[in-house]
This record gives sequence, structure tokens and C-alpha cells, in this order.
Amino acid sequence: MSFYLLRRVLQMIPTLFGVILLVFLLFSWVGGDPAYVLAGKFSNPDDIANIRRQLGVDQPLLVQLGIFIRQVLTFDFGNSWATQEPVSHIFATRLGPSLALMVPMLILETLLGVTLALAVAYVRDSWIDRLLTLTTTTAMSISLLVYIIVGQYVFAYLLGWFPVQGWATGGEGWVRFAVLPVLLGLAVSLAPAIRLYRTFVLDEIQQDYVRTARAKGVSEWRVMLVHVLRNASIPIVTNVLASLPALLIGAFLLERFFSIPGIGREVILAVERSDFPVIKSVTVSVAVATMVFNLLADLAYQWVDPRVQLS
Amino acid sequence: MLRHRNRLPWFRVGNGRSLQARKAISVPITTAERLRQAIQTLVLGVMLALGAMPAAAAAAPATAAAPAQMAAEKVLHVEIPVPETTLDPEALQDLYSAELVSAVFEPLLTYDYLARPARLVPDVAAAMPEISADGKTWTFHLRQDVAFAPDPVFAGRRRVVQAADVAFTLRRLLDPAIHSPFSFLLEGKIVGLDAAVKRAREAHQPFDYTAPVAGLEVLDAFTLRVHLNAPDVNFGHALAQPNLGILAPEVVRAYGDQIGGHPVGTGPYRVTHWTRGAALTLEANPNYRDRRWDFDPGQDPAAQALAKEMHGKRIPAIGRVEVRVIPEQQSALLAFRSGALDVLYLQNKVAPVVLNGQGQLKPEYVRLGIRHEVITDPEILFNYLNPADPMVGGMDPAHIALRRAILMVQDDTAFIRVIRKGQAVHVPYPIPPGVVGHDPTYRSLLEYNPAQANRLLDAYGFRRGADGWRTQPDGGPLVVRYWRQSEGETREYEELYKRGLDQIHVRFEGHPVPFPDLLKAERGCQVTTRLGAWIADYPDGDDFMQLFYGPNAHANNLACFQNAEWDALYVQSTRLTPGPERDALYHRMARMLETLGVAKVSHTRLHHMLTQAFVQGYRKSLISGIAEWPYLDLR
Repeated sequence: MSFYLLRRVLQMIPTLFGVILLVFLLFSWVGGDPAYVLAGKFSNPDDIANIRRQLGVDQPLLVQLGIFIRQVLTFDFGNSWATQEPVSHIFATRLGPSLALMVPMLILETLLGVTLALAVAYVRDSWIDRLLTLTTTTAMSISLLVYIIVGQYVFAYLLGWFPVQGWATGGEGWVRFAVLPVLLGLAVSLAPAIRLYRTFVLDEIQQDYVRTARAKGVSEWRVMLVHVLRNASIPIVTNVLASLPALLIGAFLLERFFSIPGIGREVILAVERSDFPVIKSVTVSVAVATMVFNLLADLAYQWVDPRVQLS
Repeated sequence: MLRHRNRLPWFRVGNGRSLQARKAISVPITTAERLRQAIQTLVLGVMLALGAMPAAAAAAPATAAAPAQMAAEKVLHVEIPVPETTLDPEALQDLYSAELVSAVFEPLLTYDYLARPARLVPDVAAAMPEISADGKTWTFHLRQDVAFAPDPVFAGRRRVVQAADVAFTLRRLLDPAIHSPFSFLLEGKIVGLDAAVKRAREAHQPFDYTAPVAGLEVLDAFTLRVHLNAPDVNFGHALAQPNLGILAPEVVRAYGDQIGGHPVGTGPYRVTHWTRGAALTLEANPNYRDRRWDFDPGQDPAAQALAKEMHGKRIPAIGRVEVRVIPEQQSALLAFRSGALDVLYLQNKVAPVVLNGQGQLKPEYVRLGIRHEVITDPEILFNYLNPADPMVGGMDPAHIALRRAILMVQDDTAFIRVIRKGQAVHVPYPIPPGVVGHDPTYRSLLEYNPAQANRLLDAYGFRRGADGWRTQPDGGPLVVRYWRQSEGETREYEELYKRGLDQIHVRFEGHPVPFPDLLKAERGCQVTTRLGAWIADYPDGDDFMQLFYGPNAHANNLACFQNAEWDALYVQSTRLTPGPERDALYHRMARMLETLGVAKVSHTRLHHMLTQAFVQGYRKSLISGIAEWPYLDLR
């Protein structure tokens, strides 16, 4: 087990270096020279040279890459080029609102998704199953933008149940401002989750051990909630853990339409402003999170099913 | 339409007073009307959103507390569509940060709130400057009652602005470490300042604020004398910009490179809460002087009524301003309609929801008492062609004719109708309305005329080949490369441009590039043609005419136009005060731009502002980056 963990951690190093290299090359070749944006409309070659020197983009590429690697190792990405705000402060202040949206969405999506998937798989091929399949297919065919725009108009403006937009910290603030975005985000993510989890459950229902359990007179509740659910948990855990890194980049459309100061909106702004320090830190953070959660998923397999051997 | 707005008042951010006012303006509407508006807004919202996809913030001395308490119960709710970047005046980069800075900081001079055209008036200065006979020495006497907002750096004492603070601020705008995009306001103007900047740049050392600068003479605590290298009729405008909001040196030292997050100014408001990129709370500065409404309405009846209604009111009259960053137009409009916003910048794409075909408020908004003000932005959008471009460049008659023909097939009317949704006006003069030097009688020689453009090309030997496309007079290929930003709505610009070239049988090549690359190419004089834009930095024609001054190539002379005769006229114009003589020069220079096929001014966008019925004293500032909030009151 320890050897397995050590090997996986060591494997992360070249992967992380690959991410660093890819981000660096992409930004260097495609991102354009930020000095021209920061210099303003009256800029002259001297101004641009001055800014390039201050940003360090006048250095040879290898030197810039070395600085990037040092920043990753120390996790100190300096200040935003556009606002001079420390990148660490951006993370500290923007991550909270994003998590306040994404965590409830993920928990509700998983709980509701698994519950409904078990239910419709149990009544497979019935009119309820067909109705839910039709509903989820339809729901998946509608853009998130439509959910947001219609939801904002109907529930916030027309019915006045929620604020049109805005954000506040604290429990009451969350209740006031986050409920509608969370519900809209859930409306979008629930449909594919139900369909996916239904497939996982159906795969298990058809296994021999289910028939054996039923033959032994085990109750249908126990068959579904203990035997089937446990065996269907591995792909479900994989899917949930694989989606956890997305928490770090928020839900930019929801954040943008509801004026929520989350990390997703910050990332879009950083791209629009060619704000490399922010882009770098977010990309590297998501990469690291993905590798860590992948490792956790592997460990979770063994927890869920002791037959799985990690070697 | 808005009856439902008060069903759940705990959702509203506003105070009781505002809510009462909002209740007062609620009127019933018919179901059909509601349904129609619902469908209209939904359809527009979906269209807007889909279109947006690619583009995918101390204690106060007891003596000053009374004014703040007086206004404390009033709250104004406003929005800005783009997140602010910094509240450091000298480091300002964008319009909306400038608006916030203008409410928190004050420069030496400012603009009369009502005067049209814009007129400079003293702000931190006690009076307009005394200018020497040769125009090179400007003496400023400062008010002695201007104090910075309370901040821990001042350790509880009232910190009054002094001449040394102003001199520090002027130096700071040129500090290479700040790399202010607005350093041009002072570059080359103050005796000895540029040399100090050059020393710091070359030595790669921090800018020395203690080194004497001959052009900045602090005569006493409240008197500053500025010596200019040459007479500059626009120096006063430079000193009125938010970028020269006065800072206290000890505050700058205390907060270091995080000064942009700790705004401490002398303006009517101070920042008391700031969630960066999302929301700010501005509260009345308890140290703000006793300032009253007293502006010059001129002969405008609406402004006169405003002056009469507001005369003698304290500035600011509203104790708190809640600023929200709302990037999506649909969200902002719904927030305004639900009463969560008191002032709304109505962007062009949602304008059809609120305005009728004549650009007036629809009846349902009029019934709510909502007020609408429209101004033309102090800007120009212009198509330019690079006279040095290998394909269309050259000062020979044929290539001048080619550029003129290309400019003649740019259909400005269609551009305004299709892309601006009617929310722009055709302005053929390089100096837009509201800016000193504008000529409303000017008529372009290059108005849309494909037939004449074709005749011109025929006459100068641009013949059509077997494939139907024209070639160069020498038979070489003729392809016009149109540069545009790869993000945003510029694809539509390209479509219209291509349509024009198709009419004269000239091959078109679209060239979308990322914004930084576009700027780089433009600075490198590599752009063949594109739709350029320029918004006034100060309301004088010089700010626009310098766009075509030869020495500004590789900087803001986007077309890289270099012509000795034109440059001589420009230099001559800079020595003249605004008036008929300078206007005549400007007229001649504008004609030359057309006759040489360098640029054709297309249009100026309309700026629609909506205010709730209870908002008093609103008049959209002609000067970009200056907020109106300090001048408002709520009924």
C-alpha cells in the first residue's frame, strides 16, 4: 500500500511538469504579449519595453519557465498583472463563493441522482422509467444559458422569490443569494447524473449475485440498497471524485449571470485580461487537484470493495 | 409590470426610503403586456447570452460627522458592467475604475457638472490657475479645507492636502514602476520631470520622489507653481482627469504595491467595503468640505430646471452608494426593473427592450416615472487604411484612389442599423459631438457610394480579371486584409466590410487575431485596415487630431499615417487656443485624411442612462470616467 502511494505520488511529478510546460508554451505562443494590453492606448515602444521588463516577459523563455517552476514549488504566484492583487488573495476570497455554490450542487446532485437512479432502475422499462428517460434527455438538450435566463426571469424577477443577482457572505446571505443559482445548476447537472447512475445500477441488477440474493429470500430493499448500491458505488465514486477538481474553477456562467464573486468569473476575467499569474495558478491548482482526487478515487475503490487490490 | 417587486422586501438591498418610493411608482399592467414583455426579454436574453459565450473594497473627527449623518439614511444603488481593476488613481487602466476613483479622489481641477460644452472649474484648487503671459508657468493656489478621508495611516489626525501632495501626485503619474497608461497626460510637459523618469528607467532604480524637479515648485504649503516646457492649452484638462486624483505620500508608502486596494482620497466618498470585482460600498467622506450644488446650466432648459431643483444642496447628498458589478446586461436590466438598481447604463443590445423605434422610452417605463437620458459618447469609430501597407499603401494617385474607393463602400448606415441596433449616430468629422472643435456641418467626401467607387477603380486601372476580381494596375494580386480582434462582436464588422469590398470586386481576407496581437501589429504598423476607436481622454479636439500625427506612428497613430504637410498643420494647431482659427486648421486636416484615403469616420455610439423616478439631479457626464453619484439625491 505504502509503495503504491509512493509510486503514485512520484508519478505526479512528471505529469505536473507536463502541465507546467504545456501552460507555459500555450501562453507564450498564443496568449499574446500582455505589455501591449497593459500599456494603454497612448503607449510607445519605451512604455512597452518598460512593462515587459517589469513583468519579466523580456527574459529568455527558459528563464521565464524557471520562474514559473519556482512559483509552483513555492505556490507563490505573485500579484495579478491587471489588478496588482496578490494571487493568493484572489484564491482566498473567490474560492468561498464558488464552493458555496458548487458543494451543495454536488451533494444534492449525487444524493438525488443515486436515489432516482436506483428507483427507475428498479422499475426498469415501466412508464415511469420511460418518462424519466424522456425528461432527462430533454433536460440535457437544453443549454445551461436557457435555464439561467429563464430561471432568473421567472423565479427572481417575475415571481420575486429570489434576488435577481448579487451575493452576501454568511448563512443568511447564502440563503438569500445562492439558492436560485444552486437550483438552476442542479437542474442542469441532475439529468445526466441520473442517466449515468441508472446505467451503473442496471449493470449490477443483471448480475448473478442479485438473482442469488433474491433466491435466498433477501428483501428487495436489502438487495437494492446493500448489494446493488455497494457494487454500483465504484463507478459512482469515480464520477464524483473526478468532478471534485471542478470545484476549484467554479461555475462561471452562474457566477457571471448572478454576479457572484467566484473563482470561475475570475478565471474568465484573467483570460480576457491576459493575466498570466492568475491563469497559471488556477491551471496548476486544478491539475494538482485532479491528480490528488484520482489517487483518492483509487483508494476509495478498496474502501468500497475490499476485493480491489492496490499494487 | 413591477407590482410584484415588493412581495419579498427582505430580498431588496435598499433602505426603507427607497422602497417607499418604489412602492409609489408601482402601477398595474395587463396580462397581455406582461406576457409580451416576458417573451421579449427572454428571447433577447437568450440571444445576448449566446452571443456573449465566446467572449466568454477609521475613525472620523467629531467636527465633520454631521454632514455624513445627514445623508446616511439615503442609499443609492448603481452598477458597473465591468469589474474594476484598481482604485489607485495613477495606475488606472479602465473607465469603470476611473468612475469609482472620481468619487473617492479629487484632482486640482474638474468639470462643471452641468456646463455644455465641458468647462474646467477648480476642485482642490481654490481658483483657476494663474497662467503667465507666455503660457508656460501655471500657479495653483489650493483650498485649505480639503482633507483626506480618515485612515489608520493618519493616526487620528485630520490630514489636509498641501502643495507637496500635488507635486508628489504629478511625479507619481510618470513613475516607471506604475507604468500608467495615462502617463501621456504629463509626458514631455513639465520641465525636468521627464529627465527624472529617464534616469530611473535607465538605471532600473526606483523613481526618486525626493530629487528636485525644476518644473514643480512648491512655493508654500498651499501654492504650487508648474513650469511647462512649452505652452499647452490642454494642460488644465490633464489636471482634471481622475488619473491625477491627489494621494498622500505617507499612504502610498504605507500600503506599498497594494495601494490600489487601499484608496484614501479627498473626494466626497470613501470606500468602506470592497469585494473586489463584485461590490463596493462608498460612504460619505466625513472629512469632506461643505460643498453645495452650484453649477452652470447654460441655456439648456433641462439643465436649468435641474439647477433650480438642486440649487444649494449639499454634495454629497446621499450617504451611501452601493456599487455592484453586473457583467450581464440581462441581469442588470432585470435588477433595475425589480428596483434593486437606481441608475442603469442601458447597453445597446438591451436598448430595444426599453426604447421604441424612435429611441424613446416605451410607455410602460414612462408610466413608472423612469427617466431616460441619451448622450453621444465623446468618441469616434473610424475605418482606417495604412498608407504604408504593401497592398493598399502608397501616395501615388492609383493607390490613393484605391483607398478612397474602399472607404466609399463602407456603409455606415447599415453598420449603425445592423450592429449598433440603431444606437449610434453617423459622425463624419474626426472630432465627435461634445468635444471642443467638433464641426456639425462637416460633410464627408467619402459617403457610401459603390457606383462611384467602381468608377474610381476603373479609372485608375484596377481592372477585373477573368475571375471577376480586380487586380493591381500592374496586374498583381489585390487582396485587402481586414484585421480584427478574434474575440467579441467584431466578426459582424468583418461581414459588413467584406460586403463593401464585394461591391467593388476587391478580394477580402479576414484576419482575426487575439487582442494583444492586434495591438502589437498596430504598434508595428502592420495592420492593413480595421475599424479603430478612440474615446476622449479630455474634451478637446487635439485628443483626436493627434491620432494621425506622424511622430505618433508606432504609438496611437493607428493608421501610421505620415505626411509632412499634415504634421505641420497639426503642430500649428497645438499652438492655438480653441477658436475659429484652429477650427479652420482642423477642417483642412480632416479633408486631407479623406482625400488621401487614410481614414473615414463612421459613427459615435449613443449612451442611454435610465434613472428611477426618485433619483434627483442626474445628468450624464460628458467626460468619460467621472461618476455622477456625488451630485445626486433621492426623493
